[in-house]
Amino acid sequence: MKKSDKKKVSLWERYLTKEIGIEFKACLYFFGVLFYYCTYRLCIGVTVAEILHMVEMIFLTYAVGYLQVYVLWNFDESDEINKKELFGIIICTIIYTAVSYIGKWFDRNPYVTLGFAAYIVFVYICVYLVYKCRRRIDDKILNSDLKLFKTRTDNK
Amino acid sequence: MRYTINKINKGEDELILNYKEKDPEVEAVLLFMDKRQRKLIGRKNDETIVFTPEEILYIEKVDNKTFVYTDDNEIQVEMSLYSIELFLDDESYFRCSKSMIINVNKVEKLKSMPSNRIDATLVSVEHIIISRTYASDFRKLLKGEMA
Repeated sequence: MKKSDKKKVSLWERYLTKEIGIEFKACLYFFGVLFYYCTYRLCIGVTVAEILHMVEMIFLTYAVGYLQVYVLWNFDESDEINKKELFGIIICTIIYTAVSYIGKWFDRNPYVTLGFAAYIVFVYICVYLVYKCRRRIDDKILNSDLKLFKTRTDNK
Repeated sequence: MRYTINKINKGEDELILNYKEKDPEVEAVLLFMDKRQRKLIGRKNDETIVFTPEEILYIEKVDNKTFVYTDDNEIQVEMSLYSIELFLDDESYFRCSKSMIINVNKVEKLKSMPSNRIDATLVSVEHIIISRTYASDFRKLLKGEMA
């Protein structure tokens, strides 16, 4: 089969790849938010989580994922944190904090809510570093594969 | 097959193959010779330029014109990207976007980019971005997993 005859990636497949990326982000941030929420609940002596709060969290992380990918330059996967990425972090943190306050996730406690805002910034920085680290490992794999490819084609 | 290698001080380098019947060994040498003999013709400022596929860094289609970039030339060729791809028929030449083909053997360094893209730095220090659409095929190619 010639190279050009190969099946091209359809629009649907491209959409699906992006969608899976957003869902992955939603799961990742949901886990982060839930961890803070559960810690807060345990600190106030409550050992159960509100289902309604969790539903809000899931929908919110999903919506913010869309915002990040389609509007805010996918800032958590960027190469460097510059003004534009910082702007993205601030916008998303404000959204998370506002919804947590309106939805009474932390009983509208201003200190816990402020702590939540700081925690969200921390999560974003951690995710940025994880992606950066993953790309660095990927660089090594790519360059070693390139070396092997050249050796292979030289021997042909 | 008997091999004879002579080092010469004058004249052109020459490879002569004498064979009675084509066996796999002869076929391999013929394929090698055929590949080495292939030439492409293009134009640069009204001057005709003949070059080998090995010299190609990358090929780009701009405004329906096809340009081949080598170390020191930008040559316009009267072929479509698809025809060049068929002519080259070699895994070293990879279609990295709708309008570009790169010579993987001329890639110096690769860098993983956000959103699964790949930044390829050529020996000429030029950067070519392999989009997410083509990046997964490129990875397969490097690993030797392309069908």
